[in-house]
Amino acid sequence: MNVLLTIFAAASLTNVFPHIAPKEHYSFAGSNALAAQIQQGAPADVFASANTSIPFQLYDQGLVEKPVLFTRNQLVLIVPRSNPANIHSVADVAKPGVKLVVAATGVPVGDYTRTVLKNMNLGNALNNVVSNETDVREVLAKVALGEADAGFVYVTDARTVRGKVATIGIRWAAQPRVSYAVAVVSTSRHKAAARAWVKALLGKTAQAKLRAAGFLPVK
Amino acid sequence: MIRRIVVFGASFVGIGFLVLPVVAIFARVPPGRLVSQLGNGAVTDALRVSVETSAVAQALVLLVGTPTAVVLARRFPGRELLVALVELPLVLPPAVAGIGLFAAFGRFGLLHTSIPFTKLAVVFAVALVSGPLYVRAAIAAFEGVDENIVAASRTLGAGPTRTFFRVVLPLARAGLAAGAALALARGLGEFGATIMFAGSLRGVTETLPLAVYSEFNVNFDTALAISALLVALSAALLIALKWRPSLSISRFRFAASS
Repeated sequence: MNVLLTIFAAASLTNVFPHIAPKEHYSFAGSNALAAQIQQGAPADVFASANTSIPFQLYDQGLVEKPVLFTRNQLVLIVPRSNPANIHSVADVAKPGVKLVVAATGVPVGDYTRTVLKNMNLGNALNNVVSNETDVREVLAKVALGEADAGFVYVTDARTVRGKVATIGIRWAAQPRVSYAVAVVSTSRHKAAARAWVKALLGKTAQAKLRAAGFLPVK
Repeated sequence: MIRRIVVFGASFVGIGFLVLPVVAIFARVPPGRLVSQLGNGAVTDALRVSVETSAVAQALVLLVGTPTAVVLARRFPGRELLVALVELPLVLPPAVAGIGLFAAFGRFGLLHTSIPFTKLAVVFAVALVSGPLYVRAAIAAFEGVDENIVAASRTLGAGPTRTFFRVVLPLARAGLAAGAALALARGLGEFGATIMFAGSLRGVTETLPLAVYSEFNVNFDTALAISALLVALSAALLIALKWRPSLSISRFRFAASS
C-alpha cells in the first residue's frame, strides 16, 4: 500500500524535497506559518522546519512527535545581477537608501538575518528594511526581480536563481547556527508511513540530494 | 409544502454559511480582550496605515473615476471593450494585479518608477482593485440619469458644466455613493496585490489585512481582534449604504432647491 503523505515544509526546501520524494503532497511556506496551520488542525503528516525551536515548541504542545535534525544551511546576502545599490559587502546594506528586504521576525530566516546583522554590528541596517516578508522565497523573488536592492536568504535559495542574483558571502563567525528539524505530526493518519519517510530523509540517498542542493550535513 | 421546506432549508443553510464565519470571529474572543488587543501597537499602526492609504486611494478613485465613468457612460464604438478592460482588475486574482503593478510601475517595469515598497504602492494596489468597482457603479448611475432632464437643463440655458454639477451629479448621487462605499470596503480589504507590490512594513505598508496575516503566524488572538475590527468597519460601510433611501429624498430636495 502506497499512501501519499502531506508534507508541510519550510519554503527553503521547495526545490529539494520534490527532488527527494516527487510524489508527496507538499505545502511550502514559512515554518512559523506552517506551525500556525498545524496548531489550527491542518492535516499534515510531516512537518519540516528551518529551525529547531518551532518544531520543539509544537512537540511541547503535543502536536508533533519528537523532532530530529536532518540538515543544516547557511545564510548569504543576495543582490540583483544589475546591483542597483552598488553593494559589494555585507556592511554595504547599512548604507543610507538601500532597499533591504528581509523575512519577518518569527520566520526562521528572518530571525537568522537579525542574528547575522547583530553579529556584524550592523543593527542599523534594519532601518533600511522596506518589507518584512513571510518566507525566504518572497525575499528571493523580490531581489531576483530587481525590485529590492538586497536580501538575506539561504545559500541553497540563491543557487536556484543563479543567473538573476549575485551572492555575497557572510563570514563564518557571523553565521547563525541554521539547523532543520523534521517531525511526524501527532494527528497524522499515516504515522507508520510518515515515520518511514522521516527515516528515509535521514538516509544516504536523501542526504546526498540535500548535499547536492547545497545543504550541509547535520554533523 | 415540501417545496417550501426545501426553499426555507436552503436559505437557512445559505444564510448560516455566510454569516457563521463572521459571527465566529466575535464568539472566539471575549469583547474585553478584543478591545485590549486593539491597543496593541501593531494594530494601531496597521489601522493608521489602512486609514491613510484608503483615504488617498478613495480620493483618487473618486476624482479620476467619476470623469472616467462620465466618458464611459456615453455611446461610442469600442465602448464595451474599454469598459471590459477597465473592469478587468475586478475579476483578476489579486496576485496577478500585484505582478501587473510590478510590470508597469516596478523599477524594471514599463514606467521605471521607485514606487514599490512605499505607501504610494499601497495606494496603487488599493486603487487598482477598488477603482473598477466604483467606475462600474458610476457608469450605471450616469446611464440611469434621464436624458430628457439633462436636455431640459440645457434648453433652459444651463451650460454643460452647470448641468453636470447641478443636474446630472445630484441625480446620479445615490448610485455614486453606493459605488464609493463598496469601493472603500473592498479597498480596505485589499491584500494580495499589496503584499506583493508594497511589501509589508509596520507603520509604512502593513495595512490591517496584512497585519491579520502576519499576526496569524504570531498571535492568533491579535489576528482575531484585527479581523473583528475589519468586520466592524466593513459592516458600518454596508449599513450606511442600506440607509441610502434618506439620501435619495434629500437628493430631490437638493436638485429642486438648486
